[in-house]
Amino acid sequence: MKRLILLLCITGTPVTWNFAAPTDDINGCISCHQKNDEDRDDDEKIMTHFYEDVHYLKGLTCSDCHGGNPEEFDDEDVAMWDVENFVGAVEKKEQPEFCGKCHSNPEFMRLYSAHLKTDQVSQYWTSHHGEKLKEGDTQVAACTDCHGVHGIYPVKDPRSKVYPTNVPTTCKHCHSNEEVMANSGLPTDQFDKYTVSVHGQALLERYDIAAPACNGCHGNHGAMPPTIFSISDICGTCHANNAELFKGSHLKRVFIEQKINQCEGCHNYHDIAKPTDESLNWAVNKTCIYCHEEDEEKAKILATALFNIIDSLKQKIEIANEMVDLAENKGMEVEDLFFHLEDAHKNLIQTRTSIHSFDDKYVRKTSEDGYKAAEAAIIGAEQALHEFGFRKKGLLVFSLILTFFGIVLYLKIKSME
Amino acid sequence: MKIYDWLNQRVDLDSITKFAKKKQVPVFYGTVWYYLGGVSLFLFIIQVFTGILLILYYQPGSTTAFESVKFIVSQVNFGWLVREIHSWSANLFILFIFLHMFTVYFAKAYRKPREVTWYTGFILLLVAMFFGFSGYLLPWNELAFFATKVGSDIAGAIPFVGDFLLKLLRSGDDVTGATLTRFYGIHVAVLPAVFTIILGIHLILVQVQGMSVPPSQESLPPEKRKYMPFFPNFALRDLLVWLIVLNVIALLAVFFPWEIGQKADPLLPAPAGIRPEWYFMFMFQTLKLIPAHIWFIEGELFGIMMFTLGGLIWFFVPFFDKKAGLGIKSPFWKWVGVIIILYIIGMTIWGYAV
Repeated sequence: MKRLILLLCITGTPVTWNFAAPTDDINGCISCHQKNDEDRDDDEKIMTHFYEDVHYLKGLTCSDCHGGNPEEFDDEDVAMWDVENFVGAVEKKEQPEFCGKCHSNPEFMRLYSAHLKTDQVSQYWTSHHGEKLKEGDTQVAACTDCHGVHGIYPVKDPRSKVYPTNVPTTCKHCHSNEEVMANSGLPTDQFDKYTVSVHGQALLERYDIAAPACNGCHGNHGAMPPTIFSISDICGTCHANNAELFKGSHLKRVFIEQKINQCEGCHNYHDIAKPTDESLNWAVNKTCIYCHEEDEEKAKILATALFNIIDSLKQKIEIANEMVDLAENKGMEVEDLFFHLEDAHKNLIQTRTSIHSFDDKYVRKTSEDGYKAAEAAIIGAEQALHEFGFRKKGLLVFSLILTFFGIVLYLKIKSME
Repeated sequence: MKIYDWLNQRVDLDSITKFAKKKQVPVFYGTVWYYLGGVSLFLFIIQVFTGILLILYYQPGSTTAFESVKFIVSQVNFGWLVREIHSWSANLFILFIFLHMFTVYFAKAYRKPREVTWYTGFILLLVAMFFGFSGYLLPWNELAFFATKVGSDIAGAIPFVGDFLLKLLRSGDDVTGATLTRFYGIHVAVLPAVFTIILGIHLILVQVQGMSVPPSQESLPPEKRKYMPFFPNFALRDLLVWLIVLNVIALLAVFFPWEIGQKADPLLPAPAGIRPEWYFMFMFQTLKLIPAHIWFIEGELFGIMMFTLGGLIWFFVPFFDKKAGLGIKSPFWKWVGVIIILYIIGMTIWGYAV
């Protein structure tokens, strides 16, 4: 005992379980199931990705989940059926609790990582999937439908079915299947809509994993459709300023009274398009007149005022850009002016965000800094162009003087010879 | 005249004016080439003057160099003009030295007794190129930083002394602020001193030995040869050419300014399109084209060895081309010169095209 205490003091390492991947790979389970796989179709093989599975790599093997006797190589009964704790293939309705044996155990999971959550199962039972499963509907998703079975990768591994860029395809597997969704009352076009949305394009085409996949709005294990009251909070997770401004606007109350989903009311859902300034253009507007009458004066005045503020700021920035480009193309030092242009552009984004207040005075006030920044860039560019003009004039005078001296010299040389 | 007399009594100005008036410049189809050396000298003088003005505001150091150059071009009165003239005349300076060298080469002016003039001229070209290499880094922008890294890497590949040279150039293992300070010292103190001394020898030799003429002119009977006095006839023509060159530089400075670029960041990866100054491009392109290994020698090392050998042969051409000294035609060396010019032009164009 003294030696053990001494060893602990020297190494500073507490005695822990050994989680290293097993060095002796072959046990009775693997030995038989590998042989069985040879006669199975590819999609039915269970050992294909087994050695890449996160559980296997963390040192767990078949019997840690399924029980049985892995030391038995020959007799199937001794290996499986006669063993008391043998579980075998897990039925779907049992899956959450089966995985939860470990994943809901904070003490156990902490041994692998201090940051692993252990509320997946309890969250799952609150989800639509969980509720339906409890009712006996085995077509809903449980653990393996989203995470896979014997080839489960960590969430951060791009091979994982729940890696951000793979989530839409994983959800699509059921949600775009008309047969599976037949009794759910849900549409099956979410994936198609999502792929053309601003979020889908960012995630699936530009691989920007900051863009939300399905779970970004619906949650992971506790997946549920957002409600009228929660939608601005959900979108507001990322679009915080927009959400805050909307909550403070007079339209929030109207939306709730009219039972219009807040953000969704103007931006749609799943097929959320990249918003354009034209949405505020009453003449071509299709967004506002969804709720407002086309000849509704008050709404028309507000929308037109917001559109004009943004449009005139854009025009100002465009002029500033052109002027700075012109000065730069003439070789003038205009790097500092790019800071003004950047400020103006940032302000344009802020101004666009500020329209969620539906208050033209607030929007106008927000845009003022953008005007100032664009104006500063224009003044700087004008000075640079003026300086260029001065240089050209200076060059002309200098050249004339040199040419005059050159002619005098030439005449002198001629007169000498 | 009182001042002239006062000086004359003390420094014998009469002997200088007498020498200048006595000095004759041959007049023939190639007289125009004599201006190239004078233009190179004029550009060097411009470099010295503009360089001194830049020193007044330039601050070497990785945190100050780029900012000080920006300050010079945007805040200092006519700072932009001084920097543009310095940059443009630096490039023209090397161009005119190249032109001067090749005209001298084809006129066989390196033949006896002007071998030493040739040697000093070639050394001046090398020093001028080192001027360019060291000056290129001073604005401490992205392109210059990585070009210096690549350039000094090449120097580091030289066998035996490479490692020493690399550390000597970089003032350490990597291109850092210490390299910048070192390059600055070399650019504004060491090289001007070396250049001025060698230039002095070169000019004295030209004055003492007089202008060389090609063998075809030398073989003409004395009565058929034409001359003009150096002073004032040729000197005034020289001045006229200098005025034209100055005008061209001013034009380039206003309409084709040199970009400052982005500040160097050693932590960022090298941007695309890293290339040396145009006068190193033929060597750079050649090194890029050489395979990784030639026989048992590393490709880059092979290239460096070939350029070193080529440079030595070029330097010692007065020693190899004995026929020129004896007044006999030596077409072999003429064709060597033609091939080298075509090679330099071809590789430079290729280097910029890819």
